Amino acid sequence: MDQESTNILTVDGLNVSYGNFQAVQNVSFDVRKGEIFGLLGPNGAGKTSTLSAIEGLLKPQSGAIIVDGNNAKEKPLHARASLGVQLQSTSFQPELYVVEVLQLYAGIYGVPLSKDTLTAMLKDINLEDSATKKFGQLSGGQQQRVSLLIATIHNPRLVLLDEPTSGLDPQSRRQLWERIEAIREKGNAVLLTTHSMEEAEAVCDRIAIIDHGKVIIIDTPQAIIDKYRNDPEVISVSRRGKITLEDVFIALTGKAIRA
Amino acid sequence: METVIPKTSVVLSTLLRADFTTQWRNRRAVMLTLIVPVIILVSWKGLIPTFGGPFALSNSITIGLFASGLMGYSNTVARDRDKGIFQRLRVAPVPSWAIMASRLMVQLAMILLITTAVFIIGKDYDGITLTPIAYILTYFTAIIGGAVSLSLGQMIVGWIKNPETVNSTTRLVYLAFIIIGMFGELNQLGEAVHNAVQWSPYGTVKTILAAGMEPERWNSNASIALLAAILYTIVFATLGIKWFKWNTK
Repeated sequence: MDQESTNILTVDGLNVSYGNFQAVQNVSFDVRKGEIFGLLGPNGAGKTSTLSAIEGLLKPQSGAIIVDGNNAKEKPLHARASLGVQLQSTSFQPELYVVEVLQLYAGIYGVPLSKDTLTAMLKDINLEDSATKKFGQLSGGQQQRVSLLIATIHNPRLVLLDEPTSGLDPQSRRQLWERIEAIREKGNAVLLTTHSMEEAEAVCDRIAIIDHGKVIIIDTPQAIIDKYRNDPEVISVSRRGKITLEDVFIALTGKAIRA
Repeated sequence: METVIPKTSVVLSTLLRADFTTQWRNRRAVMLTLIVPVIILVSWKGLIPTFGGPFALSNSITIGLFASGLMGYSNTVARDRDKGIFQRLRVAPVPSWAIMASRLMVQLAMILLITTAVFIIGKDYDGITLTPIAYILTYFTAIIGGAVSLSLGQMIVGWIKNPETVNSTTRLVYLAFIIIGMFGELNQLGEAVHNAVQWSPYGTVKTILAAGMEPERWNSNASIALLAAILYTIVFATLGIKWFKWNTK
């Protein structure tokens, strides 16, 4: 099988700008079948802009985005149908009950949903008693589980998760990692953005570090650590003697706090 | 494996079901939209022998339409945009026009509800009845009037991003329409205001509604008002769509 046929997502020479500000510059990467791919970068590095372009929320200046064989420019609806998306701050109609939100998204993805299936889905995320609660009445962890369930309701080939564990307690975070890994086990792919190096090391098969809109490096977390292990800059920022992904990240993107 | 996208009809019916459910859960706001036209209709009972039934009915429907278009439609759009509800829908295989079409269908139902409520109360409380053709024509003119108010609401929500500012602006515009429109119409604010009101969005909508209730008295003034209402809709909608952003970030 050649590389092209194993790619679920191909981003090639992507450029995104807001007026005169170039948020994403010539970004290229691919996400393969059964892979969890992490997009890492400081605030304002261009992660969300890259994700937004893939999701179809932003019109790129140039570059190609191919989702499961569908060119997002030529076949935007087909590309979006292959994607499951969890936005950074997802909100659903506050008047609707959880079960109605699920029915809404199942309907717009063309997924038939019987009452039994719905009950089983809610049971799977330990929310069978919350079917008639409104989304806003759920806790942060429960909202996250519903959001992920909706993102995967149509069994998409690629799931995009924008900072999925931000604000979650350790238990909820661990549970979410397991759910993300379950997506990979089905042979689908995950592209996630995160600020947590621990998360990237724990769940990502490969990562791309992006800064100032440009990709600095793409590889497995361990390969990146190994590559920079003896770099004086990395050693100088290391806090515990043992080189971690965070040390490499800080060395590559700088110590300065971003807005 | 070929990617299958759901049929637009299925997507639209799903969106409609969710939007109608949302509207139903907001029925207190719907009642508030209906209450001002009903109060006017009830309190103007004494004026009906002087000004005629169509005068009271057309003013009531006009106020109801602007309440729905300005405060109902624009505020829900501003809120949903601010909360990211539109963005979540837009990352699904849903054409953007379908998201708005569903919202507008709900508003169309609101227009028909307001008009019907005014007809029923007008008949039961004030004893105002129209000919069958007048009822039909009024539903038609109410849809045109609703289009004026919705496009004005769209222009405001396109121009202003902050939902609180949209809320206060639409309330101000609505109040201005009621006060200047009604008192100007009754010639209480001078001849200049009376003439200006007649060709304002409020005035043109009120004129076509009143003329629709008495088809035999439809004249060139009503036809020009109809054209003006359509023109207002085109201008407001064009600007509203041009300025509209799906998110506030």
